[in-house]
Formats: sequence, C-alpha cells, structure tokens
Amino acid sequence: MTQEMLITASAWLLGLAFVGYVASTLLYGAGVIGSRISHGARFAKTGAWATNAQLAGVVFHFLAILARWQGAGHWPTSNMYEFIGFMAFTSMLAFQVIIRMYRLNVLGALVGPVGVFLMAYSYVFPPKIQPLVPALKSYWLPLHVSLAALGEGFFAVAFGAALLYLLRVRGLELAALDRAEADAAAALAATGSEGGGVMAGASAVVSTRWERKWGTRGLEVLFYAVAVMVGFTLLALVFRYSGFQWLFGGTTYHLPPLIGPQGADIGEKGYLLGFIPMPLFGAPDWMRGKHMNTMLYSLVFGGFLYWAVRRFIAKGQPIGDVLARKVSGDPELLDEISYRAVAIGYPVFTLGGLIFAMLWAKEAWGDYWFWDPKETWALIAWLVYSAYLHVRITHGWEGRRSAWIAVLGFGVILFTLVGVNLLIVGVHSYAGGDM
Amino acid sequence: MALSKCPGCAAALPEEESNFCPECGRALGNLERPRAAAQGNGWIEFVDKAWDFFASTRVAVVLIALLAVASILGSLVEQEHLYQDWRPPQLYYPDRYGEFWGNLYLRLGLTHAYTSVWFSTLVLLVVVSLIICSFHRLVPLHRMLTRPQVWKLAQFIRRQDVVHEAAGTLDEMEQKLKKRGYKVLRERECLYADRGRISRYGAYIIHIGLLIVAFSAVGKAVPAWNQTRDVWIQDGQTVKVPDTTFAITNHKFTMELYPTGMPARFATDASIVRDGQEVKRQTVEVNKPLSYEGWEVYQTSWREEPGIARLKVTNEGGFPVANLAIDLRQPEQEYRITDQVKMVISAYYHDFTVDPQSKQPANASFEIRNPVIMADFVGTEGKTVGRAALMLLNKEASYYEGPFALSVETVDTRWYTALKLHKDKTVPWMYFGLGVVMLGMMITFFLFHWQVWVREEQGVLLVGARAYKNKFGLKQDLKRLLGIVDGEVTANI
Repeated sequence: MTQEMLITASAWLLGLAFVGYVASTLLYGAGVIGSRISHGARFAKTGAWATNAQLAGVVFHFLAILARWQGAGHWPTSNMYEFIGFMAFTSMLAFQVIIRMYRLNVLGALVGPVGVFLMAYSYVFPPKIQPLVPALKSYWLPLHVSLAALGEGFFAVAFGAALLYLLRVRGLELAALDRAEADAAAALAATGSEGGGVMAGASAVVSTRWERKWGTRGLEVLFYAVAVMVGFTLLALVFRYSGFQWLFGGTTYHLPPLIGPQGADIGEKGYLLGFIPMPLFGAPDWMRGKHMNTMLYSLVFGGFLYWAVRRFIAKGQPIGDVLARKVSGDPELLDEISYRAVAIGYPVFTLGGLIFAMLWAKEAWGDYWFWDPKETWALIAWLVYSAYLHVRITHGWEGRRSAWIAVLGFGVILFTLVGVNLLIVGVHSYAGGDM
Repeated sequence: MALSKCPGCAAALPEEESNFCPECGRALGNLERPRAAAQGNGWIEFVDKAWDFFASTRVAVVLIALLAVASILGSLVEQEHLYQDWRPPQLYYPDRYGEFWGNLYLRLGLTHAYTSVWFSTLVLLVVVSLIICSFHRLVPLHRMLTRPQVWKLAQFIRRQDVVHEAAGTLDEMEQKLKKRGYKVLRERECLYADRGRISRYGAYIIHIGLLIVAFSAVGKAVPAWNQTRDVWIQDGQTVKVPDTTFAITNHKFTMELYPTGMPARFATDASIVRDGQEVKRQTVEVNKPLSYEGWEVYQTSWREEPGIARLKVTNEGGFPVANLAIDLRQPEQEYRITDQVKMVISAYYHDFTVDPQSKQPANASFEIRNPVIMADFVGTEGKTVGRAALMLLNKEASYYEGPFALSVETVDTRWYTALKLHKDKTVPWMYFGLGVVMLGMMITFFLFHWQVWVREEQGVLLVGARAYKNKFGLKQDLKRLLGIVDGEVTANI
C-alpha cells in the first residue's frame, strides 16, 4: 500500500468514526427522551446500541490514527487538525471506560456532543500532512501528546457529568420550589390568608438564594459559551469549504474581514452585502486582526444561536431550567462519576501533560520549564483540578461548587489547547492553527 | 474549637478529645491540642492561630486558586525571558504595550511574573499550607489506620456502604478475609479487616513529592547549581567554553531542509576537547543533546555568513593574471598579483553603507552582510598603477581604473553553530520529586482502602463494609468473598 492510499483510507475511516459518534449521540438522546415519554416501557435497549455505535466509532478512529501514522511517517498529533481529532478520540475512549463502569445513558447524551463537536472542530483546520520540524522529532511526541490528550478526554467526561449534576440539582431545586408554591397556593385557598408556605417550602431546599440566582445565570453563561464555540465551528466550516478568501496584508481571511490587520483602511476591501465596509476598523497592536475578526463573528453568531434556542425551543425560559426539568438521575451518582473521571484523568494528565512535557523540554530546549504560555496554562489546568480534588473533600464546599470547578477545568483545558494558540504566542506556536 | 459533629458522616462526636470520628473514622485534625499553656502567651497564641489558618483546606483551595490567577497574569504579558528583541525591558515594554501600560507592567513585576515578589510569596504560602495541612491530618490518620477501633455496635455496622448478614463463625471469616489480602484484627465478638491502607497515605506522598519539586525549583536560583554557557563555533574550529576545563570542536554543522523549505534537521558533529585531547565525539541535534561531566550540550541555533571570497584578477587583454582568496572576516593587508604588482587593501567594509550624516562610507552592522573591498594595485617602486572597488555579493557593482580588473568567482558560505551548555544540579532532584508525585498519584487513585467490620450476634455474622473510594469494587469483592448472588446484599450506595 502506498502512503497516499493509507492517508486516503485514514480520511475515510475518520469519516466512519464521525458517523459512529453522531449516531451514538442521537441514539443516547433518543433513548433518554424515548424511555422518559414511554415511562421506561420502551427504548430500553437504545442506550446499549448507542454505546456500541460509539465503540465502533472509537475503533474506526483508532484505525484511522494508525493509518495516518503509517501514511505520514510520524505519530499524527503534530498539528491542530490531528490533535483536535485525537482529542475527540480520547474523549470517546474515556467515555467508553466510564460508561462501562456506571451504565448511565443520559451521560452519553451530554458527553457524546463533546466528541462530535471536537471532530467537527478538527475539520476547521487544514488536514494536510506536514513534515515534522526538528523540535518535534522525538519519541516524546507520541508519549507526551497522546497521554495528555487521554487525561483531557477523561476531563471531558468529568465535565459532562458535572454539568449533568448541576442540571439535576437545579431540577430538584425547581421541583422543590414548585411544590412549595403549590403548597402555598393550597394553604392560601384553604385559609384565605397570607400563608408562610412559600418561605417554609423554599427553606426545605438546601441551596441558598445566592446559589439559586448565580447557579442559573452561570448555566446560561455556559450555554452561551458553548453556542459561541459551536457557532464558530459552523461558520468556519461553511466559509472554508465554500472557498471564500480575502488576502489581506499577508494573511488570508476566510471570513469577510470586518476587522482588518493593524493599520488597515476602512472599506479597503469593498463592502459586505453592499453597505458594510470591510474592514470596519483595523486591529489594535496587541492582537492579530484576523483572530479578532473571527472572535467577533463567533461572539455574534453564538449570541444568535443562543437567542434562537432560548426563544424558540426553550420558549423564553432559561435554557438551563428547561433542561433541568427534563434530566433525571441520582445527583450523588453523577458527582461520583465526575470525581471518578477526574481521578483517572488527573494522574494521566499530570504524567502526560506536565511530567513528560518537562522531560521533553529538558531534552529539546535545555530546561524543563520555561513559563511558556502553553506550559503555564497546562499548569493552570492542573491547579484547577487540584482545587477540585480539595474542594470535594472540604465540608460545605462539595456539591455544586466542586461541580462548577470541574466545568471550569474543562474550559481551561480548551483554552490551553485552542485559545493559547490563537491569542498568545509562545514556543508552542508551531502547533498553531489557522482561521 | 471543638467540633460537635463529624464533618464526614455528621454523627455527634463524643465529649472527650478525639482525633478521628469514632463513627466513620474520618480524621478530624488535631483540633483539641492542649492549649492551656497558650493562655496569655501572645506568641504561642499567634502560632496556634497561624497553624489553624494554614491547616484549613479552604485556605489551601484559595491559595491554589490565587496561584492559578497569578499564573494567568504572567501568561498574558510577554515575559522578559521570552521576548525576541535586543532592547532591554525598560525600552522594550513601553514600546510594546504603550508608555502607560508598559511602565505599569514593569513596576508591578508582570514582565517577570514568575520570579516576582508576589508570585514567590504566593508559592511560599502554598508550600507552608502544604506542609501544615499534611502534618495536621497525617498524624491522626496514621493513628486511626494503625490502631483502629475494632469493636463496633451493630447500628454502626448497619450504616456502612455494604451490609450483609451471613452464617458462619468469626474464625472462618478471618480466614476468608486474610486469603483475599485483608489485614484482620479481632476484639471480643467483633472483627475488623482492611486492605489497601496505603492508599490513604497517597495524598501525603504526593505532597512530599511536590515539596521536593518546589525546593528543586527554588534551588535553580543558586548560581553554582544552575549554569549556562552559549558558544558560537565556526565549522572546523574549536572554542574554549568559558569558566570550564574543556573546549568544543564543531567539525561540521549540517542543516537539512524539506522540499518546501521547512527545516528538517539541524546537527553539529561536535567533540569535547580537554588538554588538546578529544574525549568525546557525538552528533548534537535538536532533541539529542550531548552529555559530558554534568553538562548537557544543546543545538540551539545557527548562522551563515559570507566566508572566503575567490576573486579573479584580469589584465587589459582580459587574461587572468591571478586568483585570490580573501577571508572576509579578516582580509590580509596585501595580496600578491604578479612578481611586480601587489594588491593593497585600502579599505574594507563588512557591511557597506553610506552614513547619511557624514556622507562617508561606513559599516551598517557588526555582521558580514554587504562586504566591499577597495584596493590599490601597487608596482615595485611603491607606485600605484591602478585601483579597484568591489561589492562582493553584487557582481555588477565593480569599479576599476588602471590595467587590472577584479571579479568575483565565488563566495563561500561560512557556517556557525550555536550550542547551549547547561549544567543544572537540581535536575535529578526535580525528577526524583516528580517520580514521588507520580507514585503518590498511583497509590491515591488506583489503590482503594476498604474496611470491613464483622460482629457476631447469636451465630449470625453481621458484615458492614466501607469504601473510602470505589464502592463498586468493594461490593464486587465482598460478593465473591461471601459467595452471595446478586440482590442479596444490601448496599447503601
């Protein structure tokens, strides 16, 4: 087999893996909703099918990685396309480990989309095989990157479980508040006087007012952030594959340039839709115009997506509350799953993401630590998960607070992998993406 | 302050001093240390308060969070050791971030965040918290694990994660548990067994490892423990490494490129030379440093410059008269052309430019970028017979008068390799510390502490088991151990 054939085969296998992940996510979702509607009478086997579909996806993905490895001649974690795809693989692999321990299908409906999103996001980057620069030619490349990604995969599962926990706790809280309201109404109807029922009922809920208020808002912020990332990926894919490009001061824009490079003239590239000047303004000196342009689109389009979901699907209610009323599950079990995923991911990430990175840095650059932004952010992620492990055993801080830290931790991981490349330049910049 | 309730299981605590919860065994910290002597002694009271402060996990979590935030700040401002510019920080930052912000960052130490006073203080506080937190919990935990309370009431056993009633005797139970690797203790009608006890110490092993890591990192500040040297060596040359007993020879520097022009490989065929003797020879590459007596030699950079220019001298008839080889780093004073004529270098510029103010020829930099030779052809009696000026990298730009013309045949490239030497005595300690951290993590997260209490009551064994982690695994283990089928075991999971 020639190398080209292997690379083509790898692309096809990757497509099959993607199909497997999408199918499993849909099946998990259908299973959860179906069994809820039928009160557990039907859709009993759907969860198992979903798990198997995902397993098939993981196997195809593994074969795709092996084929690309043989085709390219180096372990395929050397650029953003390969790495993000690899992380989709490790997330799904980690989920397979966890789901086989706990058999909680609703988790699949939440973690599945993370894998699908990462796969879709990887297609934003050019899939061209690039030869390795000297700094990457080391046996540490497969060791450091794969193991770090595996740890991050478990963090993705922990994120899903923690989010589900937050939704579930919010659901219980809402149910308690509803009950309290109903009691108060009944009391009011019975006695005809102002009853203290609402207060009495509400105090039965363990959460504080502060937690209720900011817990809801926090979830909405989280959904907006997710909408921004999904929006970015959709836009990027549409514009990349439709072949739009604007050459602008040495950089290629794939999105209409509303923010030009530093010092660009207003309207120098014509008008978008006939009346919006491109660019509207040039970027300030501390950020690259192209990245700022992409960010602007993502924030606006993400805002639109969030608004559309809230307006038309959630009927104007906070999305978190609508979901919270739908999910089921034992919050303690969800907390345990989240902890278990971190407990596996944390040592793996420490070894792969920090210790192996230090050993490699020593060998390649002469020192084990540089405070390079990528290193620093890996350390920050590690600190966040260290905080999670301590918060979870701190009396009074377990529960929602630790779950939020697990959610935040995954945000830091994503920033380390993507945000640092886009916003901050350092010695890892050769791993930088394009968009 | 004395706790009235256990923070772990919320059971009421006994009146008398205790280091761990008698119900669930959770370490409570040494909260009831005898402090009578402290009354009225301000110093001891202060130490007690400081100890309590740092012993709190809440304080530890806040410190970890602050360290994370401080690290973020440092990653947002370009650090002094990472920026690629020749200017000193005082000039660079105001230009990079603007007059106001640049100076502010400099003043706050944000430009060297990770060596700044506030960052170091924070690390120190984390280390103090790490030591006190660990010590505060390790002592009572160790006591609890080595001297557990064997005799328990039935109601205690019934509250555990896994509960089962079995037929049999305590002796049989002891044998079964021992066979599965449990350590067993007996007291009257009760039995206590546990396995994976070491798992509970794992967190403290991690903490010890982190302390070693922290001290190794601080040790880098000692100049004698952490030395670096940078050397530039021309192909074929040997350069003494400053303040060491050896020199390094660069036999040849090789750079390979991919067809796209991207670099594929940088390598220096290098030797370590001591007292004129070669003691080690190795190809130094990126990712393949050379080790010698605690020094690591790294390939860091390279440079090329015009090396030896080969010139042709022709006479009026266009016939070649002589070939010259001029070392552009150090040209000779004069070159022999024929028996009668020599060429005297009247001026040499390695980077020729015309100074805009004085309108005089000058060098634009310290590098050989645009070498220009001005020469006189001098006859036997010291009489100048001709002149020539030549831009060596631009064959068109030559000027001559008189019978001789100069032209450039080739200009060789001279390669330099940049090697970095690093001797860091803290590295073995750092790696040892990281090894301890990893070992501690394996013990903490992949071993499980399971405790089993058995109480014999009227010929029936009441079994209660508790998992500090992995309740699922404990349940499976007990099922196998007691030979129970699914559904018979009561699990409070």
